[in-house]
Amino acid sequence: MTYNHFNRRLHLYLALTLLPWFFMYGISSIPFSHGYFFQRLDEAKGLPLWTKRFEKTYEIRIPEGNELRPVGAQIMRDHGLEGAYGVYRQNPNQVNVYVHSFWHSTQVKYFIAEKKLVAEDRRFRWDHFLTGMHARGGFEQDSFLDALWGVVVDIVCLGMLLWIVTGVYMWWKLPSTRRWGWLALAGGVTSFVFFVARL
Amino acid sequence: MYLALFMTPWVLMYALSTFVMNHRTWFRGKAPAPPPFQIEHELRYPGDFPPGATPSQKAVQLLNFLNMDGAHSVGRPSADGSFAVNRQDAVAPRRITYHPASGKVTIERQEFQTTAFLERMHRRRGFQQAYALDYTWGGLVDLFIVTTIFWVLSGLWLWWELKVTRVTGLLFALGGIALFTLFLATI
Repeated sequence: MTYNHFNRRLHLYLALTLLPWFFMYGISSIPFSHGYFFQRLDEAKGLPLWTKRFEKTYEIRIPEGNELRPVGAQIMRDHGLEGAYGVYRQNPNQVNVYVHSFWHSTQVKYFIAEKKLVAEDRRFRWDHFLTGMHARGGFEQDSFLDALWGVVVDIVCLGMLLWIVTGVYMWWKLPSTRRWGWLALAGGVTSFVFFVARL
Repeated sequence: MYLALFMTPWVLMYALSTFVMNHRTWFRGKAPAPPPFQIEHELRYPGDFPPGATPSQKAVQLLNFLNMDGAHSVGRPSADGSFAVNRQDAVAPRRITYHPASGKVTIERQEFQTTAFLERMHRRRGFQQAYALDYTWGGLVDLFIVTTIFWVLSGLWLWWELKVTRVTGLLFALGGIALFTLFLATI
């Protein structure tokens, strides 16, 4: 196998393996880019986004600072909630735990002064499903599959870099396309630098 | 191919910024604070705001006076009426704070950090601000989206045309689809 051959096969098989991610990132960028449009579309339905699951009295000590994951884990354990989650301080009197999967999201609000806990389920929306999948990543969750998703996201990043390298190599091996190729590449780089400088 | 060559900087930026965001703790630590601001300039605003002007209208007036009009957001005014305008900028975002009692304007520049810069570029969208530059950027982001979907479809067609790669290619594609389906069903 020549290097030329290897380069072509790498480009092709990498793309075929990562096709679902590449397609998902492409499609899910639409609701990110046109968020207002999808928001207005949903508001026109007149349906509430959140439905209350329960409201109860509950007490838990909230530490100072932003290290709130243990608090979130405890709240979830105490109320039978499972899944990937994030915890953040909504305001000085409120801590929110956001429990999410690709298909379902639950928000738990803890009101510190009132010692009150409110859980709400979010209505399924396709645009949220797509943006949720797009934004998923990192290695903060405990589960193996969540970490594996993070690894695949890294592989997608590496794949994109390899597509550039192998793609540029394939272009260079086609001398008849070099002039127009240079023009396209220079046009892209110039436009990008312009936007970085002015945006 | 020419589209791919034109879009190379965007592919590079999205790949690097995604990697940085996927390893935010590694790059920026747990619960990282945003990059700090440094005072760049202080001056007095000699003008006045029309009675009943909204924070957004005041922000535009102030930015025009400073010759800094462009994509921005404005925070809720505090009790003394002072307000902060966050002027977006890919390289050097600025925070402009106006204090009505003294008429003082403080311009602060956010310290440059490569990771924060990459995240800003990744998250920047174009159709939320009434500025031609932002709309053009939004158009390019949309072009990138269309290009991405086109690559997927044209790539499938190119693979199918190469008969010698059909079986192996199918195995790779099925492997990817199976893994993706597993994630869809479990996390």
